[in-house]
Amino acid sequence: MTLNLNWGILLEESATGDGPYWTLLATGLQWTLATALTGWVIALLVGSIVGVLRTLPYRPLALLGDIYVEVFRNIPLLVQLFFWFFVWPEVVPQEIGRWMKQDMPYPEFITAALGLGWFTAARVAEQVKSGILSLPRGQKNAALALGFSLPQTYRLVILPQAFRVVIPPLTSEFMNIFKNSAAALAIGLTELTFQMKQMVEYSNEVIVSIAAVTTIYMTLAFAVNRGMAWLEKKARVPGMIGGGR
Amino acid sequence: MNTDASPMIRFVNVNKWYGRDHHVLKNINLEVRQGEVVVVCGPSGSGKSTLIRTINQLEPINNGEIWVDGIRANDPRTNINKLREEVGFVFQHFNLYPHLSVLDNITLAPIQVKKIPKDLAERTAMELLERVGLANKKDAYPANLSGGQQQRVAIARGLAMNPQVMLFDEPTSALDPEMIGEVLAVMKQLAESGMTMMVVTHEMGFAREVADRVVFLDQGVILEDAKPEQFFTDPQTDRAKQFLRQILAPMHQ
Amino acid sequence: MKKLLPLAMAIALSAGAQAEELTGTLKKVKDTGRIVVGVRDASQPFSYLLGNKQYVGYSVDLCNKIVDQVQKELKLKTLDVVYQPVTSQTRIPLMQNGTIDLECGSTTNSMERQKQVAFGVNMFWVNVRMAVKANSGIKSVADLNGKPVVTTTGTTSDRYIKMHEKGKSIDVKNLYGKDHDESFLMLETDRAAAFVMDDTLLAAKIAASKNPKDFMIAGEVLSGEPYGIMLRKDDPQFKKLVDSTLTAVYKSPEMEKIYAKWFMSPIQPKGVNLNMPMSDKMKELLKNPSDKGI
Repeated sequence: MTLNLNWGILLEESATGDGPYWTLLATGLQWTLATALTGWVIALLVGSIVGVLRTLPYRPLALLGDIYVEVFRNIPLLVQLFFWFFVWPEVVPQEIGRWMKQDMPYPEFITAALGLGWFTAARVAEQVKSGILSLPRGQKNAALALGFSLPQTYRLVILPQAFRVVIPPLTSEFMNIFKNSAAALAIGLTELTFQMKQMVEYSNEVIVSIAAVTTIYMTLAFAVNRGMAWLEKKARVPGMIGGGR
Repeated sequence: MNTDASPMIRFVNVNKWYGRDHHVLKNINLEVRQGEVVVVCGPSGSGKSTLIRTINQLEPINNGEIWVDGIRANDPRTNINKLREEVGFVFQHFNLYPHLSVLDNITLAPIQVKKIPKDLAERTAMELLERVGLANKKDAYPANLSGGQQQRVAIARGLAMNPQVMLFDEPTSALDPEMIGEVLAVMKQLAESGMTMMVVTHEMGFAREVADRVVFLDQGVILEDAKPEQFFTDPQTDRAKQFLRQILAPMHQ
Repeated sequence: MKKLLPLAMAIALSAGAQAEELTGTLKKVKDTGRIVVGVRDASQPFSYLLGNKQYVGYSVDLCNKIVDQVQKELKLKTLDVVYQPVTSQTRIPLMQNGTIDLECGSTTNSMERQKQVAFGVNMFWVNVRMAVKANSGIKSVADLNGKPVVTTTGTTSDRYIKMHEKGKSIDVKNLYGKDHDESFLMLETDRAAAFVMDDTLLAAKIAASKNPKDFMIAGEVLSGEPYGIMLRKDDPQFKKLVDSTLTAVYKSPEMEKIYAKWFMSPIQPKGVNLNMPMSDKMKELLKNPSDKGI
């Protein structure tokens, strides 16, 4: 068997009539970026709230947070996306379901971004929680003793420290969300992996298509990694790690 | 609102349990008047740290009453955050905010809690840093300070809220011996300025020299409450005698 | 070498095809005693999983004829037949890398694919049309303007809307199902107004649905395309065997029975009947076997 690789295929006109093949991948990259970044914003917001809930001294709220994490972390992402896309519109009142299916703009994108965000939020919540619990207990007491309310204590004292602690694990979650966004092709989002499959189908240049897309994913991961490293460096406090007591 | 006659801190029949079986504070009755400096001592596990933490409700109590400046601290209707503004607290392990500079550590609560303008808060903070002798460290971060310096900043942080009372929970026990003096000096200066203070400490020199009263706690019970002179020269209970022997001459028991 | 060549040719000619040295897939099958057949999980009625482990269908029946012939020509006492499930995305790579030897699914024989793989003589002719809800009022491609239309990822159907002359001036929203089940689900749940696909697959999905009367196949024939049994490229020995076996089956009376079994009778597992009489194109295809792609 000979590997007959035609790298020039990327510049050739695609059989779909949508321009050269590279434009297919560019479109896919746009959706991957949009989905992953929107999902990440949702994951950070929801994950931080849920992570904080789980450390609060109010049992019902902490339990609520625990339940969220268990549910969203333990059900496979693909199943969650299927649920939001196919099952949820049939569960809600018929009018709303109809709207979700027919009138909601970009239904695949919105479903994917939310689904991915909520899924990743469970993982972020886990990191945020352990970040908070890793801080010396005295930090919370020191803030309370000065008259800070509990929300102020979290906002001004606990979270600024906890987020610094969790930047490295969050980096890998951030990288994961780009990879996980590929699951959205299952609900028809024309993201990067979807476009790769289309390109494979139409051009039959399997290896070239996969190699091109692999390169793009690796570039994304590298960019995220560097960006987060920059953030970590910027947020670094002189001697904070180990000097927290 | 506080008249000299009424006490700044008052414990009335206070009881606290950890879990079901550990009765850590047993029927505590205690008063601290304005301007008074009270040293609380006792063997480890006696409940002295718990006692001081119940005043600002970092530790809740099971029954009894705690009054601070005429306000009942353990009343659910009391705005505990408001009350805590009036009660400075200095921890054994300093608990400075490691992500903030020395100056920001001191100004954070005045700006965020008392809504004092930033420039005014910073001016006050600088005055306090002068008082504790650390004005030149205002831009340093806690991790770059020695233990003694951190504790002095912590005291300044507590004072920045302009509290009625300062509580000290073993402020020198985490320090290397050569740094204990600088912290005690700041505390002495504070006592001389008329601050109401309650200090959990084993520094008997400080107790003798600065305290108005010494309270001896053992197994959750106040066994002695006396002037320092009387406590050190004529303790009433065997437990206090034994404690003093151990702490004053640990090598010759 | 040059001197030996005439001699070798003479021997080959005198000994006939049987003595020809085995190459390619046939050599591999002879050496290993097994042949790997690529099948689909849910391409009714061509190739699908029945129950737990049994793959059946029109294409599978034809492939079994080929497998029988392989065993016969290689004079193997036993031949281990392995059914390897493939998807529309994996079938070509798995063929190219030698995982499967024969693909019996519902694969369009296209010129593009012929750059990568080979096909036996065409085995079926399908028309690309659309399935719609019976009460939708959609009768033509032109009625799809502004509507969402689903096709299945990795198949060749979605471009036909764009290419059909009536589809040129209209604007449809393209949706993509991961597989035919999901595409049909989108139609069923009103996410899509039409499902564009090969008519046989559409008929199968409709027949298997909860309420077959709710759906119909409608509109113009967007395209027609031949299905082929896929094999590796540049393997003339095996291709010859496949072609001659299929041609023989096509000419035999048995062909009518095989067709009727899958397209005119109730089929497992649900006992649905696709009820698709043989089209003229299909008759022509059986009469003049060819491996021409589109």
